[in-house]
Amino acid sequence: MKPRQGLAQVSPAFEAEALASLDSLYRAALRLTRVPADAEDLVQETFLKAFRSVDRFEPGTNLRAWLFTILHNTARNRVRDRARDTVAIDSEIVDRAADAPPPAGARAGAAETPETLLLRETLAPELQAAIDALPDAFRQAIWLRDVEEFSYAEIAQMLSIPIGTVMSRISRGRHLLFERLKDLRPVNA
Amino acid sequence: MLKCDALDPLVTPFIDGELPVADRRAVEDHLCACAPCHSRIAAEQAVRDLIRAQRAALCTRPAPDALHARCAELTRRPAPDEAGRPHVAPSHVAPSHVAPSHLAPSYGAGARWPTRLAPYALAASLVLVVGGAFLYQATDRSARLLAAELTADHVKCFAMNSALGTHQAPAAVERSMASTFDWRMHLPDDPASAGLELVGARPCLYAEGKIAHIMYRHDGHPVSLFMLPRTVRAEELVEVLGHEASIWCVNNRTFVLVSREPRREVQRMASFVQASMR
Repeated sequence: MKPRQGLAQVSPAFEAEALASLDSLYRAALRLTRVPADAEDLVQETFLKAFRSVDRFEPGTNLRAWLFTILHNTARNRVRDRARDTVAIDSEIVDRAADAPPPAGARAGAAETPETLLLRETLAPELQAAIDALPDAFRQAIWLRDVEEFSYAEIAQMLSIPIGTVMSRISRGRHLLFERLKDLRPVNA
Repeated sequence: MLKCDALDPLVTPFIDGELPVADRRAVEDHLCACAPCHSRIAAEQAVRDLIRAQRAALCTRPAPDALHARCAELTRRPAPDEAGRPHVAPSHVAPSHVAPSHLAPSYGAGARWPTRLAPYALAASLVLVVGGAFLYQATDRSARLLAAELTADHVKCFAMNSALGTHQAPAAVERSMASTFDWRMHLPDDPASAGLELVGARPCLYAEGKIAHIMYRHDGHPVSLFMLPRTVRAEELVEVLGHEASIWCVNNRTFVLVSREPRREVQRMASFVQASMR
């Protein structure tokens, strides 16, 4: 009988370490799918794939980053499958937008009020809503960098994009967030 | 000293503390001397600092316990019995109210497949029950909502199926239909003549009862045939969620064929099934 790959080879230590990332994978999946049921499916499929291909994980490397890479690959494949007959996201447009200079407001606005003071009163739910309202590409980059604290190189691998693009998406995403959050503040001194 | 243009690619890594020392100094020197650049990066810096400060508050939402349980269960499911084809029997569909921790009794060797399948059945049924709770009344009247629910089920079951890699023989599907639905049927003998290839069957939960779900592929693309026992509906072809759903009725059973294939292909497949399934 042919030995089955994967599931049987998963060591308890590997499994425990992998499952420890479940909550953060779920939150990232929620940012990707925006629908809790879809996020649950995505996470479960991620673990199934991870356990099946456990032999492809290089011990000593970042298991959490590896799981996030699987999560994002899986999500991308799903979007691709779903978009078989529809217009796919034009990633070039997104990247061109990311490379564009930040809006004038971010350069010149609030020159007298330090930006940090302006955002100081921002509440977590407001911030969460503003992040969720970002276009997908920027939201993912910001979330992986500022919330999950992955390196540029790890994010580049997860999103399958060059490091330069990772940085420009993070930058653009932060500027968009700033504009949005600034508008929420009642004092526009 | 750096020029303003040369600063652009360095701003984000500077804010993130990812620049080598020499570059970092160069940026700092520039910012001290250049007020416009200084205010330009202040916005980005402020947002980064804000997110980092609120990080804990952004990370309070845990994954549902049921998801934890399902994922922990993944490695504990034994491999399917390679010798015998899996046979989906009615008892394997978990009732929606059963907590996942109750889902893992030690099945005997003859029932290994269901152990592997149970968490998926639960995943599907939970979602359907949530949908069904709202829509059951409405779907009683609306073919469109019925088609929408079944289309969602179609997409979901095929997603599960590609993860599980199910492939069932016609005899196994027929046995499962007979035991689950008391439906003594005979699948079309030559599905290949209509471009169809049998994938397998699973019982799905729909509203308050179980429905049969037989999965095919048409030129490699997913096709679902649903059978709702004790249900009578008018014949109709509905477009919903990017799919076509062909609805027809035979002897107190309603059939719905769902696929993303072009409308005329769906009509052809539905006619083929109607004509050749006994």
